[in-house]
Amino acid sequence: MKLSELSVGDHAQVTAVAAEPAVRRRLMDMGLVRGAEIDVLRFAPLGDPIEVSCNGLLLTMRRNEAEGITVNKLETCKVPQGVGPGLRKRHRFGRRA
Amino acid sequence: MSSKKTITVALAGNPNAGKSSVFNALTGAHQRVGNFPGVTIEKHEGYLDYGDYRITVVDLPGTYSLTPYSPEEIVTRRYIIDEKPDVVVNVVEGTNLERNMMLTVQLMEMEVDLLVALNMMDEVEEQGFKIDIDQLELLLGSHIVPTSARQRRGLDDLLDHIIRVVDGRIEIKKNKVSFSAEVEKAIDSIAELLSQEPELDKAANHRWMAIKLLENDREIYSQVQKYPVWVKIELALQEAIKESDVVHGTDPEALITEDRHAFVRGAMQECVRKPKAQRASASDYIDSVVLNRVFGLPIFFLIVWAIFQLTFTLGAPLMDALDYAFGLLSDAVAPHLPEGMVRSIFTDGVISGVGSVVIFLPNIVLLFMGLSFLEASGYMARAAFVIDKVMHRFGLHGKSFIPMITGFGCSIPAIMATRTLKSPSDRLATIMTIPFMSCGAKLPVYVLLAGAFFPPAMAANVMFGIYFLGILIGLWTAWLLKSSVLKSDSEPFVMELPPYRWPTFSSVIFQARVKAVMYLKKAGTLILGAVILIWAASNFPRSSALDAQLARETAQIEASAVAPEVKTEQLQQLEARIESGQLEYSVAGRGGKLLEPLIRPLGFDWRIGISLVTGLAAKEVVVSTLGTIYSIGHAADETSLSSILRSEPGFGKATALSLMVFVLLYIPCVAAVGVMKKEVGSWIPVVYYSIYAMAVAWVASFITYRLALLLG
Repeated sequence: MKLSELSVGDHAQVTAVAAEPAVRRRLMDMGLVRGAEIDVLRFAPLGDPIEVSCNGLLLTMRRNEAEGITVNKLETCKVPQGVGPGLRKRHRFGRRA
Repeated sequence: MSSKKTITVALAGNPNAGKSSVFNALTGAHQRVGNFPGVTIEKHEGYLDYGDYRITVVDLPGTYSLTPYSPEEIVTRRYIIDEKPDVVVNVVEGTNLERNMMLTVQLMEMEVDLLVALNMMDEVEEQGFKIDIDQLELLLGSHIVPTSARQRRGLDDLLDHIIRVVDGRIEIKKNKVSFSAEVEKAIDSIAELLSQEPELDKAANHRWMAIKLLENDREIYSQVQKYPVWVKIELALQEAIKESDVVHGTDPEALITEDRHAFVRGAMQECVRKPKAQRASASDYIDSVVLNRVFGLPIFFLIVWAIFQLTFTLGAPLMDALDYAFGLLSDAVAPHLPEGMVRSIFTDGVISGVGSVVIFLPNIVLLFMGLSFLEASGYMARAAFVIDKVMHRFGLHGKSFIPMITGFGCSIPAIMATRTLKSPSDRLATIMTIPFMSCGAKLPVYVLLAGAFFPPAMAANVMFGIYFLGILIGLWTAWLLKSSVLKSDSEPFVMELPPYRWPTFSSVIFQARVKAVMYLKKAGTLILGAVILIWAASNFPRSSALDAQLARETAQIEASAVAPEVKTEQLQQLEARIESGQLEYSVAGRGGKLLEPLIRPLGFDWRIGISLVTGLAAKEVVVSTLGTIYSIGHAADETSLSSILRSEPGFGKATALSLMVFVLLYIPCVAAVGVMKKEVGSWIPVVYYSIYAMAVAWVASFITYRLALLLG
């Protein structure tokens, strides 16, 4: 489902991010990559934009930007950190010169 | 002094990471503010002497990333690549390392001499974070210096590190961030191809260019595209895209970003222990009130109102005081100058010209103190969040709201305030909207005309209608621009709501000072020139026949046998008559007459034409010009301008309404135009805007005049 279809209090995991290049890049830079988990915090008083938290960061986006983000709604059980696809074993952190 | 070695240090970091505080703390008083070449992005430069070195510090604009999508990011990249600073200091926010490190990783990819200033250590300690700095240094290959710019801790340590890097006593390891196997393969093959191209700079960082090419970076594309090797690179890129799709189900750009996040997250897990009790922080609590569905909007309007009051209510007495001071100055200077031309040039031209520039300073300083308080405290982003839906409907950004509201006070600080908008097209659209928000200087014109031709209760409605018309046309202009010329790039509303913070006093003052200096230096010269030009146009040429008449009739009156009070009165009348005759004779007067056929359909005659021309100096001048010019042939007891206007045969309700609409909409004063040119960076949009404003003013006034005539 789309991020824009979630309601306040929902917990979800990002599965894909689609938007025009600049927006997509910004979303991804702010941490909305595949595997990232988000909580929907609130909608603005006029119903748009939307505020989510992701990795302890408070992010806002408009509904039409949120429409490009595909998510899996998660139930209350939180996936423990480090298991998502974002953390794959093949990485070597900081190849030391 | 001259024996000192000079080195350049660039500060890079996320917005709100405390870069500016570090910059201020380092450079103290030796700061210069300008713009980066070609763009209106502020460039803060300063220097300090440390040991045997003179260190030039450049504060790069705050960015989250190094994409080519926003001008700040391009400026940052270009500066690092082209200017090759000796050391790049990445200022990171210790309490929000994970997000800040995304930029660090991208700076590492550029393989520059990178130092990390781990800022806000005071908050880190306070909140109970534990950061394993040694381990993090190993991972990054860089050196990390804990600092607290606010408490001025760690700065000498940072400077020592900078010197040692330049001396070669510290070697920055330039660790490479490793990406997924497929991406690494593609990077290697593209970098190899790049190094084969003989035309391409050997010193360029091929690995970085390869990464950027895989990220679809149009800047690097256009750099590489012109070389023959491009054919092979394009093939390699296509293959990489195919492979990444097959193996990972996504494109290389996303994959690279995911890998960066993974690297950062890994590093965080290794090196950072967050405090156990996740702070159900004050920030969250404030947000639950301030962004509340019910209270959010009222609180927002209250804060905007407070800023407006701060700027204009508190600013007004200061402005009056300055105005008064300039009046005193010109009175004090006048007796020391020879009567006539020279005196007039100095008192009416230069002093009042300088005065007309300087009197806006209190407003500018107060507004920017308010705005930088909002920005640094974290509320600005929330304000944009609250009002964005309304502004977005007209193609604007939530952050456009505050500059627009400020426009009701004065366009000049309002136009300068658009710097809070990041996207150039949003900024341009907002700037073009602001002059339609009826500024304070136009108010005397409305008061005069509405007061003269309408009963008090009606006059208020008329004025409200005028303001409302301005808002409508402003928003319509924004919508028009954003749906045509400026359609392309809108600022994505993907923002971080930073945690609330008390801004430091020095940073608030710093911002205000920067804006004041910028205004005086750049805009001041232009505005001053224009004001003097308009002054000259309304004073030259002078008719010697009228001068002679003045002398002759003065002598006659002096010689006549009437009471002294009558004499003074007659003299005053005479002077006013001659004065308006001279105005008619001047360039401005002739301009007004020349304009008459053009403005006739709006119900204006040449006298209104003149006042509109002189009104370009400042809008309230319209009133004083009308006063000078309409005083001809009226008995002295008819002192009030409104009664004079009422008694004019060609001046009725319709003309008054039409004139109000015209004054509302036509080109703003030269000061505002000067600031507009400065903020936009080129004359072309300003010229287009001026033509547009004149056209809109003409059409709107025409309709108003005809309707008013029809309806009586």
